Amino acid sequence: MSAAAMPALPEAAQRHNLLSWLTTTDHKRIGILYLLTSLAYFGVAGFLSLLIRTQLARPNSTFVNAHQYAQLFTLHGTAMIFLFVAPFAFGLGNFLIPLQIGAPDMAFPRLNATSYWLFLFGGLVIFLGAATNEGAAASGWTAYPPLSEIRVSTGLGQDLWIVGVFLVSVATIVTSINFVTTVFIFRAPGMTMWRIPIFTWEMVATSLLVFMAFPSLAATLLLLLVDRKLGGHAFDPAYGGSPVLWDHLFWFFGHPEVYVMILPYFGVISEIVPVFSRKPIFGYTGLVLAAFAIAGLSMGVWAHHMFTTGVVNNPFFAFVSFLIAVPTGVKFFNWIATMWRGSISFETPMLFTIGFLLNFLIGGITGVMLASPPIDYQAHDSYFVVAHFHYVLGGGSLFAIFAALFFWWPKMFGVKLDEALGRWCFGLLFVGFNLTFLPMHFMGVMGMPRRVFTYDAGGPLPMLNLIATVGSYVMLAGVSVFVMNAIVSARARIPVGDDPWHANSLEWWTSSPPPEHNFESLPPIRSERPVYDARVAKA
Amino acid sequence: MTVGLRLFLSSAAFGVVIALAYWFTSRESIGTLMLGIMAFGLSFVAGYMIVAEREADLVGDKKDATMLSAAGELVGTYTVTSPLPLGSALAVTFVGLGIVVSPVIAVLGILALLAFGALLIIQSR
Repeated sequence: MSAAAMPALPEAAQRHNLLSWLTTTDHKRIGILYLLTSLAYFGVAGFLSLLIRTQLARPNSTFVNAHQYAQLFTLHGTAMIFLFVAPFAFGLGNFLIPLQIGAPDMAFPRLNATSYWLFLFGGLVIFLGAATNEGAAASGWTAYPPLSEIRVSTGLGQDLWIVGVFLVSVATIVTSINFVTTVFIFRAPGMTMWRIPIFTWEMVATSLLVFMAFPSLAATLLLLLVDRKLGGHAFDPAYGGSPVLWDHLFWFFGHPEVYVMILPYFGVISEIVPVFSRKPIFGYTGLVLAAFAIAGLSMGVWAHHMFTTGVVNNPFFAFVSFLIAVPTGVKFFNWIATMWRGSISFETPMLFTIGFLLNFLIGGITGVMLASPPIDYQAHDSYFVVAHFHYVLGGGSLFAIFAALFFWWPKMFGVKLDEALGRWCFGLLFVGFNLTFLPMHFMGVMGMPRRVFTYDAGGPLPMLNLIATVGSYVMLAGVSVFVMNAIVSARARIPVGDDPWHANSLEWWTSSPPPEHNFESLPPIRSERPVYDARVAKA
Repeated sequence: MTVGLRLFLSSAAFGVVIALAYWFTSRESIGTLMLGIMAFGLSFVAGYMIVAEREADLVGDKKDATMLSAAGELVGTYTVTSPLPLGSALAVTFVGLGIVVSPVIAVLGILALLAFGALLIIQSR
């Protein structure tokens, strides 16, 4: 089975009307739909975070009340995690995987499209809760019982949240099956597994994690739904149930989910660093093995979110959590070694990559701190934890997302984003991000708990919160510059050619944007850098 | 043995090791059961791949393969567009919404899902 064996697609398929987008099974279009939808959800989640920060800008603020605030942080967390960071990676995977391995499409195109629509509808169902009488779900993205049980959350919003997240989890599992099957079966002649690009490897590792973790989420959500709609008591201690059961089942998914949200972006960084350092990636095999080591170990750390429950084996989970720092360190070492003595150029994708490295380093180090039970007992449920995971997912994943957008935009749309606006976007986001989240470490150490809707005047908390709020609006400016950049570039429509960055992997061999069946021809594939090899051979 | 099979076999072995390690250090049943199910699932996939790979002959696995190596094999036609994905996803969403809002919506969703399923079978023949 190969690219050469696939028949060419008819001209009719290349029409670009609304119906063709609604019925498309082309992986590139589905990828773009995924990306645009997840960016739209990011816009909504970002708007909610601005409301949160506006509320917290001043002490004793009455901008929103406690229940509204709970809805805001629930929808913000749910949207960022389930509808933006992870799905954006799946959008990239959809667009890039067949291109990177020389395939004409995904293994199961119709299933692929189905998973996109399930993701879209799942997200809409979650937000539909906001239109109900008692408002959206308000039990946090973790939906801990009893907060999510019918006796506390009586409204329809919580039910819709469960159904929506369930649909998204099914979509994620289906997409992962598609990714793994495509990579295993549909590689072009000569594209052995040890020649596929690191991004594709990371998506395989991510898919493996999804297989292991997401069924637990789906089952747990169904249990909660049974409790709420059919009078079950799985999580109700008064009837022999246990809220700790939820903690186990949820975090068995929840911690690997963190790596579902970061491994693909490790792949993005591994693609960008060698291109802008003009060197081959250092330690290809090490990077691949590190990805699987992270994926495997992440399945054994779920209860480090439960240290303070007192009913889990803290030393076991602390030890495995510390272990994850080793393969992550390997990756950092390899990226820096790739840059070392390279001819580095600082175009916008590379700027965001460096932003990723700096921010993620802080998030990683505070992660190691929180893996230590004595520190976690002090910092648990404080703003220190909020700062930590935002440095991982905001400073890490978000910066890699922007790096990916600037890097692959020419391939997706055939035009390049403006460099000057790109630098402004990076600068505003980097400054805004650190203004917002660096102070949260200090707030947490000073004892400010997360998820509180207000705080007293006095002490340094008001000033730190005000700085964080100003930072969030600076980030808004950065995102606005990106939107402006996209509009300006779309209007200018300056063609960029097939390979504007002089990159290495197979997606840069084909036209920008690629044709329906991806490739008119393929170069000989004899290493993990076939396009580089072809360029050298031609020279 | 392909890289993919090695991947699933090693993941399954890791699942068994970590499940045993967790049980012997914690004596905690929920986590052990989840890790055990995970190891079983990975073993199942690995077992399936062992059976499936008997017949496999992928040009992507051959280091020196060229486009000519893949010529001549017609594996089917790609569906360029299809209304089934959108329709099926809508139907599943209706089923989910019906469970929490109204059984009527759920029944409509199930009927639509059956119709799309039948259409898929007809199209696939």
